[in-house]
Amino acid sequence: MSRATQADVLCDWNRTYPFAESTFDQVRLVHVIEEVENIFSTLAEVHRVTRPGGQVEIITPHYSDHASYCSPAHRWHLSSFSFWFFTDQPKEYDYYAPAHFVQKRVHVSLLQLWRLLGFEFLVNHSRGFRRFWEYYLSFVIRGKVITFQLEVVK
Amino acid sequence: MNGQAAETRLPRILDIGCGPTKFPGAIGADKNPDTAADVLCDVDQGSLPFADNSFDQIRALHIIEHVADVIKTMEEFHRVTRPGGTIYLVTPHYTDASSFRDPTHRWHLNSYSFLYFYKGGMHGRDMWYTKVRMREARLSVKLLSVWRLLGFEFLVNHLPRFRWFWEYYLSFVIRGKVMEFTFEVLK
Repeated sequence: MSRATQADVLCDWNRTYPFAESTFDQVRLVHVIEEVENIFSTLAEVHRVTRPGGQVEIITPHYSDHASYCSPAHRWHLSSFSFWFFTDQPKEYDYYAPAHFVQKRVHVSLLQLWRLLGFEFLVNHSRGFRRFWEYYLSFVIRGKVITFQLEVVK
Repeated sequence: MNGQAAETRLPRILDIGCGPTKFPGAIGADKNPDTAADVLCDVDQGSLPFADNSFDQIRALHIIEHVADVIKTMEEFHRVTRPGGTIYLVTPHYTDASSFRDPTHRWHLNSYSFLYFYKGGMHGRDMWYTKVRMREARLSVKLLSVWRLLGFEFLVNHLPRFRWFWEYYLSFVIRGKVMEFTFEVLK
């Protein structure tokens, strides 16, 4: 969006991207998704410009990290389950999220102290523990960054 | 006979954002056509397609955290509800993981998030953000099951001072789940 970046192409990530359908093998959104106006329409555009089977990597702060709140440009505070809408949602949600993905990988990093104590390992190696951590522990044993790897289904 | 029928008439209920399972006997409204909606409308696109004072009750389950403007939406709910009617509103507590699980949740709310609508709601004063007034007829906060079993949910819901203490001091550890508000519409 800004000329002060290394961008080859200037465009607004809240609008249609100036690329043809299925142009890319991989699309990376690093600290972008928490700032967009509408996550569904942005992901619909990302889905459009990525080839079938292409990979989408989304990196965003966990809602329990201070980084989620220290930028006034952050509209959304997300959890490690925030992209279920696009992956295994019931049919009535197609209205909101017609773009489909397969979630290949989710990784949550925790603050250093908790990583050293082994909590990051547990969170990333057991979906059940990740769920328990997010509901019961995550405002004490706080998260840092979530990385989602999604595969485009067309 | 007609008089009796009028007295025993069924309550007029609007289930706004009804989704696939509409409240029995209610008029369902949703923006998604693939639902049980009787009326398609979007609260973010201006006013609801109902006359003033049309309903005895509005049910708004897991809606308010999605809307573009909480105050305008509550004003619309107030407009279409009759004086003395109720607005039943369910929304996640901001300490619940479900508040952050849905990428369309714009607002993360707590049990004091509607004080602007109450008479003398903030520090004994009416707030100027809105002119509409409601009374909090009932509030129930649910906690995660471990905390409920340990008695914290009972304390939060039965001791107003404890609820205040919980929100300020405890709620990131003893985390909330969902809040159910019943507002009485004052006109």
